[in-house]
Amino acid sequence: MNEEVTTENIQTADYSRNKGLLLLLSVFIIATCGLIYELIAGTLASYLLGDSITQFSTIIGVYLFSMGIGSWLSKYIDGNLLRWFIRIEILVGIIGGISAPVLFVIFEHIYSFKVILYAFVGLTGVLVGLEIPLLMRILQGKYQFKDLVSNIFTFDYIGGLLASLIFPLVLVPYLGLIRTSLFFGMLNIGVALALMYQFKETKPYRANMLVTIIVCLAAFTGGMLYSQKIMTYSESLAFQDQVIFSKSTPYQRIVLTKNTREMRLFLNGNLQFSSADEYRYHEALIHPGMQNLSGATKVLVLGGGDGLAVRELLKYPQIQSINLVDLDPEMTRLFSTNKILTALNKKAFASPKVKVTNADAYQWVRNNNEKYQFIAIDFPDPSNYSVGKLYTNSFYREVSRLLDSNGVMVVQSTSPYIGRKSFWCINHTLESEGFHVIPYHAYVPSFGEWGYALATKNYCWRNEGKLPEGLKYVNFKTISDMMFFPPDMSDVPTEINKLNNQVLVHYFESDWGPYAH
Amino acid sequence: MHTNKLHNRRSFLKQSLLATGALLWLPSCEDKNDIKHIKGSIVGANSKSGHIARDLKSRPSPTHTEQVDYLIVGGGIAGLTALRHLKNAGITSCKLLEMDNHTGGNSHSGSNKISQYPWGAHYLPVPDIRNKEILDFLQSCGVITEYKDGLPVYNEYHICHDPEERLFINGQWQEGIVPEFGVPAADKEQIRKFFALMASMKTAVGADGKDAFTIPLKNSTEDAKYRDLDKISFAAYLKQNNFTSPPLLWYLEYCCKDDYGTRLDNTSAWAGIHYFAARKGKGANAKDSTVLTWPEGNAFLATHLRKQCDETTIALQHAAVNIKPTASGADVLVNDVNKGTFYQITAKKMIVCTPQFVTKHLIDLGKLRYSMYDSFYYTPWLIANLTVRDLPTAKGLSLCWDNIIYGSESVGYVNANNQDVTRSSKAVLTCYKPYAYTTPQAGRMKLQKSDYKTLLKEVIDELDYAHQGIAQFIEQADLWIWGHGMIAPLPGFIWGASRLIANSPVDNKIFFAHSDLSGISIFEEAFYQGLDAAKNALAAS
Repeated sequence: MNEEVTTENIQTADYSRNKGLLLLLSVFIIATCGLIYELIAGTLASYLLGDSITQFSTIIGVYLFSMGIGSWLSKYIDGNLLRWFIRIEILVGIIGGISAPVLFVIFEHIYSFKVILYAFVGLTGVLVGLEIPLLMRILQGKYQFKDLVSNIFTFDYIGGLLASLIFPLVLVPYLGLIRTSLFFGMLNIGVALALMYQFKETKPYRANMLVTIIVCLAAFTGGMLYSQKIMTYSESLAFQDQVIFSKSTPYQRIVLTKNTREMRLFLNGNLQFSSADEYRYHEALIHPGMQNLSGATKVLVLGGGDGLAVRELLKYPQIQSINLVDLDPEMTRLFSTNKILTALNKKAFASPKVKVTNADAYQWVRNNNEKYQFIAIDFPDPSNYSVGKLYTNSFYREVSRLLDSNGVMVVQSTSPYIGRKSFWCINHTLESEGFHVIPYHAYVPSFGEWGYALATKNYCWRNEGKLPEGLKYVNFKTISDMMFFPPDMSDVPTEINKLNNQVLVHYFESDWGPYAH
Repeated sequence: MHTNKLHNRRSFLKQSLLATGALLWLPSCEDKNDIKHIKGSIVGANSKSGHIARDLKSRPSPTHTEQVDYLIVGGGIAGLTALRHLKNAGITSCKLLEMDNHTGGNSHSGSNKISQYPWGAHYLPVPDIRNKEILDFLQSCGVITEYKDGLPVYNEYHICHDPEERLFINGQWQEGIVPEFGVPAADKEQIRKFFALMASMKTAVGADGKDAFTIPLKNSTEDAKYRDLDKISFAAYLKQNNFTSPPLLWYLEYCCKDDYGTRLDNTSAWAGIHYFAARKGKGANAKDSTVLTWPEGNAFLATHLRKQCDETTIALQHAAVNIKPTASGADVLVNDVNKGTFYQITAKKMIVCTPQFVTKHLIDLGKLRYSMYDSFYYTPWLIANLTVRDLPTAKGLSLCWDNIIYGSESVGYVNANNQDVTRSSKAVLTCYKPYAYTTPQAGRMKLQKSDYKTLLKEVIDELDYAHQGIAQFIEQADLWIWGHGMIAPLPGFIWGASRLIANSPVDNKIFFAHSDLSGISIFEEAFYQGLDAAKNALAAS
């Protein structure tokens, strides 16, 4: 702090042509980096928040405005300008570099997401805005004013062009957003390092800065490697659309993707819903069973951690409590806190009627005795043995204890078209436990034909109750149509799925084998 | 013979993997099989208290004397069954001494946050419906829920859940343990023939009208046509019958190791066939190949047996160290292991339910009888319970209850969570390794002298062949050493004199019961040993 090297020192220093060129080269890199950060922020915002036109224009606006603030602030900076310049360079590198990883990580906490997003954009803008005026002052007197302005802005705009070309063509497809962000952060810091070693007047404070630089570069290198984990390149390739969120929980890998039309949720790579047509799936899951249960006050949902089935259930005023049991706390947390997702499930988990329990459904059912009038079972497809247990006669026997004698249960039971044997195996397994089963199916464009089984203990189900207002897919005509099975989906003989044969998993494998991606 | 080849291939694979890893990314090239992060220890068995009787030099003077009508020594399955029967017969003056801090013997178990897991015996094939006493016991502990058309209905939570068995062979996991994937047609034909022969043995009946092979084996025919098979080795029998296929012989040796801890060349042919021909269980929802199993293994059965006894009559960590037959019964010197003191129990009747390698140090019955114990041969076993957070997978069937690696020396591992209906992100794998390829003495010496790391490495190295890099996924690994794991039915042992002489009561006052006195270490034999001894003790008044 006490070394007083001023602009005079620089002016009197031996200013080789090389050094001038280096400074201009750094203008070029700075310009590229600056625009890249802006593009990253814009892209991220439109991935995560949707509506790319709004997102891009507000990001650009905030960014340019912040640059203006930076330029204005530059007049308050005095003293060792080169040192300031290097400092700012490092700072831009750090902030720009961490922007994408941080934004990805905090996306779950959507409440603070926008604030942090614009804070990043603003801060980067201010710092980038400081750079050019500072540089002009540093180079003042080294060139004629007209050359100075011309050189700086030429490099600035070329950098801009380069950034805007490589970003969509090279960086996003090959590096991904996180690594692009980190990479340009390192570039920024690299410029600082190069400058420091080209100008001997930086000697007094080199050691200090060097430590900062090395720490940053090491952290960013680590981040580049770790970004594999934050979001794997292969993953973004595996999904058609941009991955906006992914998380591995002890139970599954949750991935959300988004394109202009819809958002999709994948669990372990299997599509769970598309926001464009999930209403069909969930209306068909809930309403045929619920519509004639005017006295249903207590409802149990097993699985369905997305809260979309609960959203449909909340349309019935007679329901006083909904117990939802889902294995994965991460799922229910995501769908109760993330703004986009709570918009989708209409804040279902915030309803005072809803109680969420994170437990294994089998164990939970085995340990409970309370009765429910409606039970919705919405488990993942029986694609492996541990999920297969949730479709066994033993499990249905346990669930049967929890169903009122006049209650209705519905089970999502895979596609009767593709998984024909699987679908009917679930039906027959339910029947083997004494349920009266009414199979039905709905067409959900992103899934295809999808099947359900309504199960009652005493033939109590009628298609003549009361449906909530405003349903988009289900009405009484839809319900009766859904119960018709054309010959290519009609009943086929199967074995009963038991814990000690798990035939359903075998059926499912052979049904879906030809469709495996 | 297999091991060498495997080892070379494994180390080659490992080296090339490491080399590639090193080229691609240096910082990650740490040894994939590093075990430093794995927590655990050798948790059992305590050979110290077992050796008290053997190493007792001078007879300590007892602090006091107790009296009891019936004294049982040893709290394994035989001892517990005997005690349970005495209670059911209304006997109140009885006591069971167990040197360990738990009953159940080999049917021991442990538990952690993920699951309970076995430390020894871990399944029971569905019993023959003629084994009424076992069926009644199973019904009393909820394993049988009801009878339909005279057949027991088994509780489906206790029937082994699917998928049951897989074998890692030719680079992938196939369903079932009988080698199939990539096995040449000629071998498959021999395998088919072998099973056809065994099917005929299953229904074979001797001249006396009794089954050729059955459980308990005391009910098998006395017809020499079948009993003489005990005089030759299983290897010789297979050779006589032209079974030469390497995959078939590997499979049969696996079976011998799994059930008896022996190889083909030192297993009695009678015992070898018994494995395939004696299981005739039936159920309304079960067939002869159905097995019953629990996360804690047969500790489930041992615990129910114990609970059905009068538990106040069980003295844990009390070890009988000397039994002296007297005119009125027996005087037994007992070591209170915790206090280090000795006292005497005077019993009218005794049932000695210890294995014979212990019994021979407890009671002096003369030179002839002592020499009989020389033919009791016990294979040492190493058991490892590994808590894994994941398993590196190879192609083929996913994790099953029983998982075996073709060509490996050990007999594979069991997924303790298999019977768990809840989905867990972690699993406990119970690995079983008999030391069948050395003498039992050498095996015991090795197990005793090796430290935790050496033994664990041995277990992991075998698994690594099918689960490359498994070490990284192991969080906890505990080991258990059974110095005398199970009785080996060597040729001549099952129907020879030693077993019968060692099983004969002393003066109608001291009775003996243990699965090693049957020659086959399975729950059913231990159960009937204990039951018969208790019945005989009650009858002899």
